[in-house]
Amino acid sequence: MSSKTTFIGAVEIGTSKVTALIGEYTGREIAIIGCGECSSRGVIKGSVVDYRAATECTHNALELAERDANERIDHVFLAQTGGHLEGFYNEASLNVKAADNMIDMDDIRRVCDLAKAKELPLGRMVVHNIRRPFRVDGRLVPTSPENLVGQKLEVGYWTVHGQEQRLADNIHVIRGFNLEVRELVLSSLASGHMVTSMEERQNGVLAIDIGAGTTDYVLYRNGAPHATGVAAVGGGHFTNDISIGLRLTESQAEKLKLRFGRASVQSRDKNEKVWLDGNFSIGDRQFSRQAIENITAARAWELLEVVKKKLGTSFSPDSCPGGVVLTGGGAKLPAISECASKVFGTSARLGEAPSWVNENLRDPGYHTALGILYYGVSAQGDRSAGARRKGGFFRNVTRLFAST
Amino acid sequence: MSKDTHSLPDTRTWREIPQQVRPRAMSHEGRRRMAMGVMRVAFGAAVIAGVSWGAWEMVGVLRENPDAMPEAAKSDRVRSLVLVTDGVLDKNWLAKTLSIAPDATLMGLDLNQLRLRVLADAQVGSAAITRNFPDALTVRISERSPVARMMAQADDSQPRMLLVARDGIAFPGTGFDPAMIETLPWIDGIRLSRVGKAIAPIEGMKSVSDLLGAAKLEAENLYRTWKVISLAHLSTDGEIEVHTRDGMKITFGTKEDYLRQIARLDLLVDDSSDPTRPLREVNLALGSQVPVSYGKAAPTIGAPPVSTLNPRAARPQAPMPAFSIPRIDTHSEL
Repeated sequence: MSSKTTFIGAVEIGTSKVTALIGEYTGREIAIIGCGECSSRGVIKGSVVDYRAATECTHNALELAERDANERIDHVFLAQTGGHLEGFYNEASLNVKAADNMIDMDDIRRVCDLAKAKELPLGRMVVHNIRRPFRVDGRLVPTSPENLVGQKLEVGYWTVHGQEQRLADNIHVIRGFNLEVRELVLSSLASGHMVTSMEERQNGVLAIDIGAGTTDYVLYRNGAPHATGVAAVGGGHFTNDISIGLRLTESQAEKLKLRFGRASVQSRDKNEKVWLDGNFSIGDRQFSRQAIENITAARAWELLEVVKKKLGTSFSPDSCPGGVVLTGGGAKLPAISECASKVFGTSARLGEAPSWVNENLRDPGYHTALGILYYGVSAQGDRSAGARRKGGFFRNVTRLFAST
Repeated sequence: MSKDTHSLPDTRTWREIPQQVRPRAMSHEGRRRMAMGVMRVAFGAAVIAGVSWGAWEMVGVLRENPDAMPEAAKSDRVRSLVLVTDGVLDKNWLAKTLSIAPDATLMGLDLNQLRLRVLADAQVGSAAITRNFPDALTVRISERSPVARMMAQADDSQPRMLLVARDGIAFPGTGFDPAMIETLPWIDGIRLSRVGKAIAPIEGMKSVSDLLGAAKLEAENLYRTWKVISLAHLSTDGEIEVHTRDGMKITFGTKEDYLRQIARLDLLVDDSSDPTRPLREVNLALGSQVPVSYGKAAPTIGAPPVSTLNPRAARPQAPMPAFSIPRIDTHSEL
């Protein structure tokens, strides 16, 4: 094992399951060496409501991942979702101060500071500041505008903020395992990055991650996230609707949803019946397939409408040639892409993990955790570059002790 | 836009959330990991400390190692002996004790051996010897102070006077002023034993030293009259007997403050200043009850017979009942 090898942990505390992945990053490539998964408890719509239960299942997943990897980690990248997350756009511009109008780092720093400076309501904290491309005299600059010539420099930030207590709860669940949370990563950014290509992001694409409790979305434009959001509706609501509509328990409704649920009504025969269990056991009941499809299709349509409404004017089919990419556990609902296509008026498809991902982890439910791992690799790369610049024996020793 | 960036609002980020949680909020595995982390830090600190100590010791060894010294330093002879002491021993004693050969080089000396030679004299309590390059040897000693003296036969030779220090060590006493030695009381009533060729430390000297120190400091007029200190009843009864030059026996108890007892004695001596009825025995070991007995004045040359001065003194001495002396606050009195 080379001295550059680092172990990166990625954790997603979801409403239905907790996923922990451990990646071994050699500086050039990453190998997923550990995976731990556990049914989630004490988490509703991405927020911890029962600390002990959430801690127990998260720690189980982490232990499983560490055992699988046969390695110990000391920090993780944590997915963040929940209805409390909100975003807004703020931009700033300044006149380039140099006489020859050449933009320097000080100009860039100042305009970025101005664009990020926005007071938040009490109890809110910034989770992400997502920068949109610079503009120099109205000209789009996808990378750094340093040394370009122009009179006016503009930049905008999409700021995602959340409620302090809910963020703290998630962090403390991880800290209870004596792990440091190195970075909070929006679930939508993590999964969106995994299921969209760079070209799609450049042209404009909408990625929707349908989880059990929440639906996260990110709209890409010009290669960068343009808007993000969370709708507090997820796959769990499909189950709940079936449960209420057909008077079933949650587990029975979940079973029916997985077997017969569809995002569009296919059955034309009202009398077509399906069995609840189908194993000829006493108490097994029959239900109308069309009724099930009606419920799930209506809910799917409504869910996607909520996302569209939240996006507002940010989204238009013309500005999103990449279409809609669906991922997450809820995206496994048959015909969901057709439904999304109708709602958004553009093409829609199911997201797929990159080809390098192991077959076991190609399920849409893992896309967020994989995206966090990818994010961790990027952050590690930045960190390594910084360490090479500022490195040294004493710095490493300091980090050794700081990490404990 | 020319807005001053210093006045920008301060936005709070999630990084300001304190990540530390109470151990109670941690799971069992989390607590175990934390303990392991602490142990790892402790182990690291111990390793660093050990390596540092080893390096320090190594430097010390290299400093002392004659092979590591320059040839010039190795070949330099010892030209001066420096004695730093808190007592009376002098350079002559040092030269005689160390017996360094005239052609000995500074680095050729075995400092441990020399230190043992210095410590062989019981008058020396502790000693440290250092090389001072290029050619000096410095000996730092702390000496024992005598509190009493005794006659003993340390070897096959005739009995001779030895001085006794506070820690019970007896030593011949080199370099002390004879006049000072004359003021020291004699020790009596002890059983001497040998440890090798030397005399074993005398037990109870700490109590004797405290008594003599208190007397010397607070009532020197009384102390000057003390001739013999008997430890015969020290271990059994906790009493120290003092015999004065004029034949009086004073018994001190070790359980009560010596200052208080000396103050009582001073009061008694002052009250009994009648030369015809000299005090013979005073027992201060019984607390506030102080039995005393009076004796007959010894006839002195040129002095009239006692009987002529005090007819009552000619009568046989009747035992005096013990009488009570009020408690004396030594701090306010003295």
